[in-house]
Formats: sequence, structure tokens, C-alpha cells
Amino acid sequence: MQNKKLKWKSDFEKSVIIENFVNRGWIKSQDKEEDSSDWNVYWATVWNVRNIFNPKSGFRLNDQQIINHFPNHYELTRKDCMVKNLKRFKREQDKETYEQQGWNFDFLPTTYVFPGEYSLFVEEFHRCPNQTWIVKPAARSQGKGIFLLRKIQQLKKIAGTTVTNNMTQLNLASKENYVVSKYIDNPLLIGGKKFDLRMYVLVTNYKPLKVWIYNKGFGRFCNEQYTTDVAEIENMFVHLTNVAIQQYSDKYSQKHGGKYSIDALKFYVESAYGTEAFQKMMDDIHSIMLTSLKSVQAVIQNDKHCFEMYGYDILLDANLKPWLIEINASPSLTTTTPVDKNLKLNLINDVYNIVLPNDDFPDNEQKQQQITKVGGFSVLYDESLDLMNRKAQKRQSVKIWK
Amino acid sequence: MQQLDNQEILMKLKSQKQFWDIKKKVKQGFSDQQKIGINDIQKFAQSCEIEDQLIKLISHILKKSKKRETLKEDQIEFLNTSKIKWTELLFKNLDIVHQKAKNQEEDDTNTDSKLYIYDEKNLLAFLQTFKQQQPSVLYQNVQFQSNKLLNINIPLKSSQQILDKYQYILLQEELPEEKINKIRKSIENEHLDIELEKIAQTYVPNGERCLLYLKYFEFDHQETVLQQNFAKLQKECQNQLFIDELLEIDGHEISEDTFYFVFQEQILTCLKCFIRDKSIKENIRIQLQNGMKKEHAEFQLPVAGFFPFKNISKYVAPLCYLSTKIHIIYALFKEFFCRYFCFLHAISSEYNSILSLCMQIEEIVSTRSPKLFHHLKVIGCDTLKLIIHQLIYCFVGDMDPPHILTIYDQILGHDSLEILVILCVGFLNKYKPKLLLAKNYENVQQIFQELREDKFQELVQFAYKQ
Repeated sequence: MQNKKLKWKSDFEKSVIIENFVNRGWIKSQDKEEDSSDWNVYWATVWNVRNIFNPKSGFRLNDQQIINHFPNHYELTRKDCMVKNLKRFKREQDKETYEQQGWNFDFLPTTYVFPGEYSLFVEEFHRCPNQTWIVKPAARSQGKGIFLLRKIQQLKKIAGTTVTNNMTQLNLASKENYVVSKYIDNPLLIGGKKFDLRMYVLVTNYKPLKVWIYNKGFGRFCNEQYTTDVAEIENMFVHLTNVAIQQYSDKYSQKHGGKYSIDALKFYVESAYGTEAFQKMMDDIHSIMLTSLKSVQAVIQNDKHCFEMYGYDILLDANLKPWLIEINASPSLTTTTPVDKNLKLNLINDVYNIVLPNDDFPDNEQKQQQITKVGGFSVLYDESLDLMNRKAQKRQSVKIWK
Repeated sequence: MQQLDNQEILMKLKSQKQFWDIKKKVKQGFSDQQKIGINDIQKFAQSCEIEDQLIKLISHILKKSKKRETLKEDQIEFLNTSKIKWTELLFKNLDIVHQKAKNQEEDDTNTDSKLYIYDEKNLLAFLQTFKQQQPSVLYQNVQFQSNKLLNINIPLKSSQQILDKYQYILLQEELPEEKINKIRKSIENEHLDIELEKIAQTYVPNGERCLLYLKYFEFDHQETVLQQNFAKLQKECQNQLFIDELLEIDGHEISEDTFYFVFQEQILTCLKCFIRDKSIKENIRIQLQNGMKKEHAEFQLPVAGFFPFKNISKYVAPLCYLSTKIHIIYALFKEFFCRYFCFLHAISSEYNSILSLCMQIEEIVSTRSPKLFHHLKVIGCDTLKLIIHQLIYCFVGDMDPPHILTIYDQILGHDSLEILVILCVGFLNKYKPKLLLAKNYENVQQIFQELREDKFQELVQFAYKQ
């Protein structure tokens, strides 16, 4: 493949993707057919990936092709699947094992998937009458369809009919699932405003698991002062941090887009809360990332042609405890400010520096290299090292026995 | 100055934790002995440095007992009359601004955004007028250098003295975790300002910075008092003043800053309280404006004793990183302003004053980088006009918050603003290659509009490059 220019294809007309490909001297695939195979590098939508890996499509990727999603990524990135897999993973681990491994499952707010778990939800709802809940469509993004709930009757929005307290079943108007979680009503506030974190994680392999974490990210701030006042429960500018929502606020700034760099946030937490508190917060965030990825390791189809860059949405509460909100398979690559553009341009650049080192498909020797840092990415977890250590230990113990 | 008698000194000693630690040590040293003479105690104290510790502690108490008077009169009479003229000018500006604000209210299409009483350019332009007026006392024994913007006879430290003082920063390396932990423990245990200053000069861990500042300003056990005082001021903010409008407008720039927009409301609250704080007048080290009461005037000087200026928000902003509690942020801002930043806006011959700092910068650049100095003059862009913004606002907006707080550490550590001289010189040296290619002021502006990242250590290194 050396000296041969790679061909690229993208389903997204995003400058941060296209500029990266062009800057590397790669050639755009001229084949206009959606299901064409005349490419080496494809930044695809999740739907096209699903089609490619659909056995009925007859498509087989060759050794010189790489794509940006795993076939069944939705096990991690659909809200209902993520909850299902995390709950299953927790049940499968006995307490001793996951404590030994340092896994912690206490990062997911109590969540029910509708319609299946509606009756369980109702029970919990009545047990906690002052609890606010957040209702989200399982497979949508950008804050669409999300609302806060304090009365069962509000579920009329998704049921299409009146919902009463004594109903044990919920028939949804649309076919989509919903997830309903306990609303974290004591978020960490800075300047009196709620925010969440967007952090980037790259998985280049699930078996063994190899995870890279990006050193840049940002906090997404609401434009209005946070309040738990019931009168403001429907004010999305107070409660939902999605840029897609906040950009419609009168107070939205084009200059910073409500995005606060993660470096600034880390500095703030360390300065205002102390080094120990900051370190614990970061350790907890890393633990969330690892546990969530481990929870789907057994179910994800680990195809060698695939990698995936996830956008993790994490909410910090007033005690600096991180909570997992969701994981995005296609984190937005739209840039709202020059700083944002710089971040995402470098992000995509670093992704391809990892998956295609030296702008080429890595040979076996390159694959064996234990590189732990590339650009802004550092290895968060490399299971192959664990396996190597265990093999070495086994060989050692066999030697001793012999 | 308040003098303490021995009884008072003893009472103050007993209020210090270190006194009791020393006493405990002495007791432990003589636990078995029945008869202890003065000589025994002296020998013991000298042997385990208790004598040194006690001397430092008593010096600290005596120093703290001296109430620092606000500097109102300058040794140079011309500067006193200049301060009066400056204040009169600001009163006039305030009237103009008030009229503009009224016009804007009445006419939405009129969006003249220059709603501030003065900015750094106005201040520099005023300082320049001293040269034009040439009063003889200011120019005695001064070699008149027409290429300098400011060249008047005020006591100045030698450039070499300043450069030598901060040279140690060049040798600072990244500290291992063990040493950082040691510094953390020192900050937790230390109470003497002289020791805290030493720490601030070398390295302050991010997580302990707030504690160091609180201890240095003796606020570490006064949180309730700070909270109560701040709450009183917040209540007074319910009565809206015209100046509040100007503070809100000033906050717009901060609200666009990617590092500080999250603190916009806190900054505004702090400033509104600040201009209403009566204690500022007693605590501020130097009088900014001559507080003459004007009869029948619509506006008088605010209670704090001076008119706020453009970008005053920038002084508060970095301190918002240090605490989640607004009364702590306010207390720290008040101390930093009253002790240090006030000098950046005072017409004075004091070492820390804006006049003195500007002249130091011109001196260093004209002697160590004469080519750059001359070139900037030729293209109509004086050195001082180029860096006045960075100087007056301590590089807030030019450097990331961690670097700004390192500047604040140095200011506190040396009880001086001279670090700004070093950084301004470094800033000019860093961009010297590009500046030397600039053909006019617009070229120069373009250089600084490009995305850049200036860092504390980097600018210090550049300051010493020739």
C-alpha cells in the first residue's frame, strides 16, 4: 500500500473530516453509489455501516478498508441497550470480582426502559413522590423528545392517550422505546449554571479491548441559571445542555457557543475543590468509560475493519460524582467556534494517526508496537497487556513447576 | 502607626498556633528537668532553631500590627495636581457616558458601545501629557530622550535590579510529586507571611492556592465574617446605581471569553459590591482618584473612592477559579486590588505605579532591544502602546488562567507588580521577529489577532533573551 494514495469516502459534509483526508493527500472516491466499495477509508453513518455488515448485502470488506463504526455499536450507544447491557454485566459479575477489578456500577441513575419496565417504574415513582424524572427517546439525539416528568399524567406526551396513576401498562404512540431515569437534580454548577461534559474515547479493538482517551473535550453549559423551581421544569434552557437546544437561547454566544474547555474545567475543580477531589473525579470518569465498554465487550461484533470514536456525555453532581448520561456513536463534528474547530480537526487527525499510522494500514509489526500516546490520545486501557502479563505469569508458574 | 506593648505582643503571640507549637517543643525538651534557667532555655532554643522561629513570629506580629496608611500625597507635587486633573477628566467622561447611555435608551439604533469612563489607552495618553507640559521639577537631571513616550524624573529601580530579581524563575524545573507534597504540607502548616511569600515565589500547587492566599491575607479563620460582610453588600446592591450599568456593559467582554464566560454573573456581583464597599477607602494602598466632592454634581465618586474603568472585570475573573464561594472570591479580589492592582491606575511615582512600570519597560526594551524599539517608533507604534493592555490587566485574556494565577502568585510572593515588567519585555521579545517585519500599525494588529498561546514561563525566558 506504500506510495499508493488511499481513497476516502464520507457520508458527512463536515470540514473537520474532509480537511483531514485532503491534508493527507488522500483521494476522494469518485464512485457516487451509496453501496460502492471503491474506498479504503470510510467515515460512514451508522445506517450505512449496518447495511454494509448486513449479510444480505453481500458486501465483504477487504484488508485495505477501514470504517468508523462496529456493526452493532448500538449495544452501547442506544440508551435502552446501554442500560440493558450495563444491568446484565452487573448481574454477571459477582461482587468480589468487580470490586477487585475496581469496577463501580454506581454511575447510572435508576433507569427504566419503556414500555417493558413501565410497571416497575410506576412502583418506584410512587415510592419517591418528590423525585423528578427525565424521559428520553432511546434512539434519538440532540435533545429531541426529552422532557422532565413529575406527574404520571405527563406521559400522555408519549402515550398519545391519557395516562392515569393506576395504569400498569403503557402503550406508546410511536414504536420507539423510551428510557426514564431519575433526574440528577443537584448537578455541579459553575457560575450558577448546569453543564455536562463531552469527552472522546476511541476503541480500536474490543477483543482484546483497547481504549484511548482524548485529552481535550468540553463542558456544555446551559444559558440560564439552574433552578429546581417546578415552574421552570419545562424550561429547557435551564435543564438540557445540548448545544442543539441552547443555541436558540437569547443568551447564546457565537463566540464560545457555551463550550468550556475541559482543561479549564479540570483546573477549576482542582483549584476550588483540591487535588485529591479532582483526582478521584477523573478516576471515577475513567472507571465509567471502562465499565461501560467492558459491559458490551462480549456482545459487540469485533470486526478488524472497524474502530469507533465515542462521545461520552458525563454529568457531575454537586459532590463531584460523575454520572453517565449517554454514549454517542456519532458525536457531532459540527464546529460552532474557532476553538471548537481546532479541537475537532485535531481529534480526527489523531484518530487516523492511530488507526492508520503513517497513512497506511499497519503491518503485523506495527500492530504489536505498544504505543501509549498519539497526539491528544492516551491509552486508557489495553487488555492485551493484561493477557500478555497473565501468559507470562502462567509461563513462569509452569517453569517453576517443571 | 500603632505601637504594641509587651502585653499586647504576648496576647497576639498566644493567638498564633506556632507559639503553642514552640512552647510544646520547649516543654518536651525540658520534661525531665526540675530546675531550668534562662541560659538553659537560650541554649536549647538556639540549638533547635526555636529562637529563629520566635523572632520571625514576633516580627510577623509587629508587621501586621502596623496599619498601612493609604498613600494620598505623592512626593512629587506635580503628580498630585495631575491626579486632580485626571479626576476632573473622569468626572467629565462620566457625564458624557451618562448622556450617551440616555441617548441609547431613547434611540435603539444608536449603538455606540464606548460606555466606560476610561480605558488603558486613555490613561497612557494622560501620562504622556506630563512630557509635553515639561514642568522643570520632573526633568531635573534627566537626559531628555525624545524617542521615549515617558521619560520623567521619578525614582526608578535599575533595570538590572529587576532582571536579577526574577532570574531565578529561569531555573525552575518541573517538581517531582514528592516535593509538591512537601509544599502542600508547608502551606497547610505555615502561617507566617514571609514563609508564604517564599512558597508563592517558587511554586504553588493548584489545589492549595486558595488556602495560601487566604492565609496570607489572614482570612483562613474568618469565613463567617467574610460571608456576613458580603451579604450586607449584596443587600445594598438592591439600590441600583448608574455605575452598575457600566459594570454590566463591562461584563459583556468577559461573557465572550472562553475561560471566564461561566463566571459572568459572579464577576458582576463582586464588582457591584466592590463599588459600594466603604472599607476599600481605608484598605486601599494608594488613592486612585482625588475624592473631591463636587457641589451640585449629579455624580460623586462611588463609596469605594474611585470610578471603575473598562475591563475592571478582568481582575476578578481569574480568582473565580479558586473557590465555589462568592464571598471568598470577593475577599480575595478586594485584597488583590487594594494591595496591588490599585497601583496600575494611580498617578504616582511609587515603584509599583503604572508610571514607574511603563518607564521600566521602555528602559529595558530601548537598551536591550534597541532595533525593535526604534522600528516600532518608526512605524508609528510605540512600545508602550503595544503592551499597555497586557500590563494594566496582568495578561488576563492573553494567557490561560493557570498562567495568570502564576502571575498573581509572583505578585503576592514579591509584594510587587514588577513581574509584569518582565512579562511585557518577554512578550515583545517573543514577537520581535514578526514585529520587525511589520510595516505599519495594521500589520502589528494582525500579528496579535492571530490565534496565540502565551505562557508564563515562556515569556520569562524570552525576557532574558537578547
